[in-house]
Amino acid sequence: MNAFTFESKHKTFLIGAMILGLVCLVLSYFMDSEPMHVRFWSNYLHNTVFFTGIGFISMFIIAAFTTAWAGWFVGMKRVWEAMSLFLIPGLILFIPIIIGMWGHWHHLYHWADAEAVAADPILKGKASFLNKGWYTFGTLIIVGTWIYFAWKNRQISIAEDEEGEGVADNYAHHRRLRVYAAIFLPIAGFSSAAMIWQWVMSIDAHWYSTLFAWYSSASLFIAAMALTILLLVYLKNQGHFAHITSNHFHDMGKFVFAISIFWTYMWFSQYMLIWYANVGEETIYFRHRFDNYRALFFANLIMNFVLPFFILLRNDNKRKYGPLVFASVLVFIGHWVDYFLMIKPGARLTAIEAAAHHAHGHGGHDHAEHAAEVVRPVFDFAMGFNIPGLLEIGIMIGFLAGFLYFVLNQLTKASLVPQNDPYIDEALHHEVWPYPASEDGGNHHH
Amino acid sequence: MKRSPNKDVLFGLYNDETEILSAVHKAKADHLDIYDVFTPFPVHGMEDAMELSESRLHMAGFVYGLIGLLTAFLGMTWIFTSDWPIIFGGKPYWSVPAFIPITFELTVLFAAIGMVVTFYTICGMGPGVINPTLHDRITDDKFCLAFDVTNASDADKSKFQSFLEKTGAEEITQKQI
Amino acid sequence: MSGHISPIREPLITGAKTYHQITEDICGPTERMPSRAWMITFVLAVLGLAFYIFCVTWTIWVGIGSWNLNRTIGWGWDITNFVWWVGIGHAGTLISAILLLFRQKWRTGVNRAAEAMTIFAVICAGQFPLIHMGRLWLGFFIFPYPNTRGPLWVNFNSPLLWDVFAISTYFTVSLLFWYTGLVPDFATVRDRASGIRRKVYDFLAFGWTGSAKHWQRWESLSLILAGLSTPLVLSVHTIVSFDFATSVIPGWHTTIFPPYFVAGAIFSGFAMVQTLMIITRKVLHLEDYITLEHIDSMNKVILATGTIVGVAYLTELFISWYSGYIYEQFAFYNRLMGPYWWSYVGMMSCNVLSPQIFWSKKLRQNIVVTFAMSIFVNIGMWFERFVIIASTLARDYLPSAWSYYSATWVEIGLFIGTLGLFSTCYLIFTRVAPVVAVAEIKSILKNAGDQYVGMKNAHKEHAHAEVEAKSGHDHH
Repeated sequence: MNAFTFESKHKTFLIGAMILGLVCLVLSYFMDSEPMHVRFWSNYLHNTVFFTGIGFISMFIIAAFTTAWAGWFVGMKRVWEAMSLFLIPGLILFIPIIIGMWGHWHHLYHWADAEAVAADPILKGKASFLNKGWYTFGTLIIVGTWIYFAWKNRQISIAEDEEGEGVADNYAHHRRLRVYAAIFLPIAGFSSAAMIWQWVMSIDAHWYSTLFAWYSSASLFIAAMALTILLLVYLKNQGHFAHITSNHFHDMGKFVFAISIFWTYMWFSQYMLIWYANVGEETIYFRHRFDNYRALFFANLIMNFVLPFFILLRNDNKRKYGPLVFASVLVFIGHWVDYFLMIKPGARLTAIEAAAHHAHGHGGHDHAEHAAEVVRPVFDFAMGFNIPGLLEIGIMIGFLAGFLYFVLNQLTKASLVPQNDPYIDEALHHEVWPYPASEDGGNHHH
Repeated sequence: MKRSPNKDVLFGLYNDETEILSAVHKAKADHLDIYDVFTPFPVHGMEDAMELSESRLHMAGFVYGLIGLLTAFLGMTWIFTSDWPIIFGGKPYWSVPAFIPITFELTVLFAAIGMVVTFYTICGMGPGVINPTLHDRITDDKFCLAFDVTNASDADKSKFQSFLEKTGAEEITQKQI
Repeated sequence: MSGHISPIREPLITGAKTYHQITEDICGPTERMPSRAWMITFVLAVLGLAFYIFCVTWTIWVGIGSWNLNRTIGWGWDITNFVWWVGIGHAGTLISAILLLFRQKWRTGVNRAAEAMTIFAVICAGQFPLIHMGRLWLGFFIFPYPNTRGPLWVNFNSPLLWDVFAISTYFTVSLLFWYTGLVPDFATVRDRASGIRRKVYDFLAFGWTGSAKHWQRWESLSLILAGLSTPLVLSVHTIVSFDFATSVIPGWHTTIFPPYFVAGAIFSGFAMVQTLMIITRKVLHLEDYITLEHIDSMNKVILATGTIVGVAYLTELFISWYSGYIYEQFAFYNRLMGPYWWSYVGMMSCNVLSPQIFWSKKLRQNIVVTFAMSIFVNIGMWFERFVIIASTLARDYLPSAWSYYSATWVEIGLFIGTLGLFSTCYLIFTRVAPVVAVAEIKSILKNAGDQYVGMKNAHKEHAHAEVEAKSGHDHH
């Protein structure tokens, strides 16, 4: 079954989940212990960045694998193509944040507040990068560029199904795909860092870390790979993708395993270096998270390193649906929590400061006073910040449903198996030593 | 270190890995007891054909690694919390982040050395060990299938002989090793 | 088998080789008398080694005062060379381990030589921290061992001690990995040898027989060692970067250092592999095993890692401005405009700009260009370490402590000397061991030999199929 039909009962289910998410999102506007409706806005930003990022990473995966002459992934690349196009709704999702910034509806970013910047020499120094104009046009132009590549990649890939003549035209389509993939990689490398700094790192507006962009990209990579595994398992149970065997799942499991270790490596490098050097401007970031968000701080490490490491260490576990699905769900939520922890504490601080500032009127905070206020770890427990509440979970389900609806809808638009890809034969007979290719579905193990 | 010969084997040489693979499959189907197969490189599918049990080397590696991990981490913990506590750079005595690099290195070191030593030991190899080989071209381009005929009857021997002939082996020889 | 290999993949073994020819081609050089070119190079290398020993002796005899280090600039050429060599020592493990896990078949042509190179480069690297101690005879103090001073332990919290563990672990594991890969190939050489050579290789081959069970365990072991080496190789340069990044010195204390050092190490390691392989394939006539396709692939890795390093340079530069921290900003201003601006320019042009020529396939497959580029990259990566170490230290917090440093002949001699040490080891290696992994090349022959795969064969098959289809039509 190479054609995919998106059944209406599934559509209904996903639309229901989206409505649930929307309701939760609206409720979080009102049910907030913190000022400036920051729970609502930070939830919205968190999920928008997370799911748009997964779209970006999907394109990155296609580009990287194509450039590296990988053959095994071709049988499932239509899924990644569909996921990469989520960049389009992703860009639309950013529009409320951008409009909200210009309209002063939210205080997610301290640097977007002209008065705060005027009183703060550090923010003043950053103003030529951290400003509304850059945020707006950076987002539009850079995400727009990503969309161009994802779109082009999709177009050529589908054209190959119809027009590709294989050996006879020397795989002309594939060679064009390779060119786009190779050009995309450096663009992605430079531009994703700039976006991550603006979207996420600048929430803690004074803080900086050179590793941050690479760290948060590794996080998205795992989330994207885990989501792909889950989606493929689901689609396989629906009777599609019969050619995806436990060998393919084995390789995807390896990626989740390996990049989880890589993520931990990044986490450790960033944390340890900051802990070791003990420079106040830097340690504040972890100090705050360690003191006030300790449950999440450790949950992050357990969900994204300890558990997946031990589950996926064994080869058999990468080939069996049970452990693989469990690990995938775990790391998907784990990295969602990782982004939660990147965004929420800073957003909450910013909102509290902005509220205090509004209350004091145009008080002349000097810098030292300002810093002292930030350091004071006297926050009460706040649902939706210290831990994700039911509303946050509902919102995540809503966004996820939207993502899946979009992806499944894209899948109906092309054959699930690319027809004239030069590597398709390799992909259909993929085997992982010492397991033979014939073994199917991951359910033959005793 | 050379051991004295104690075994008679009958072997034949094949020219290609596909030939020896099908010969091994056929031998299994005919319930012939193969002594061993010797090849110039690892032949894909041979472990299935020979019905070899999965190597458990990785389990051993895990245990060695764990020993290394505990040695390093507990060792540093003991030294810096009770044997000779010293403050370095204003850090607590028990500075877990600072212990991680060495803990990781020793985990890998123990696992690697342990596994390599285990590998050579269970394979009966090592510096200066000389194991008998059947033919000099086995490490070049010949694929060798051997039967143990130490206590075999003449009927069995001729059965092996004709099996080797039928499956396309050349230079069928009996040798004491 | 070969049936499922994409026609778009270029063959990696040319010349329609048989298994026996592979053995002949690769084991041959160890059985013949060395060529004159080898002899001349070897003599030069040994002279370099002798000069190295002379400079080490001089350093120990006269003392570190024979170097130009001063109170402000406490690390100079010595640590630059150390980091440079360690970096080069990363390609071997990368090629054998990471590319094995990623199933890049082209690694098979170059992994053996690259692993050997790794080991020799790490030997060279290890020299510098030891010589740098000054009192070399107390070098064993760096190991934690029970002693009569308390026992007084080493400082396990110090990144310099982490280095001791990282480098020695890396050296040991690389050696085990390399040697285990060599054992079956030594057996091949053994079975072709006679007389005293046979005895020597009998010893080196560890009693390898080629039994199916042994091969199975050997493959399993190789895979696990690859799995262990992959994080290990990352950890080594990471820990080297910790030497700098755990400090509070602006320009050194930056969180991107670990992965950026690793990318730089891969980059310089591949450049060194290119330098050596281009010479080796020519001298030992291995063009059928180390093809233009291999060189092309390695150039792509150089392009990719060069660009990653470029992203890291610009990230550092940008974040130094973004941080709003004036000392950090000055550190980078100093790199660009300070007294060592030329080494920053050298680093940027050799490491980031020049590899961009490899976007062109034509240049990627040009031997002369590749060779020149590999030298450029090696120089650029030396500059990178010099920029990080010397130019950062030269401008302290207190302007009164500012200083400038240029190396003495002893320091330069030590660097040139390690090139001699490295070359001597490598040249001996090409004489005693097969420089291409014989067994592994044989195992990919049917998937990568030019008589089995590639567009040429695909076109032939395609034409054949069309003719058949046509004649089929005619019959009806």
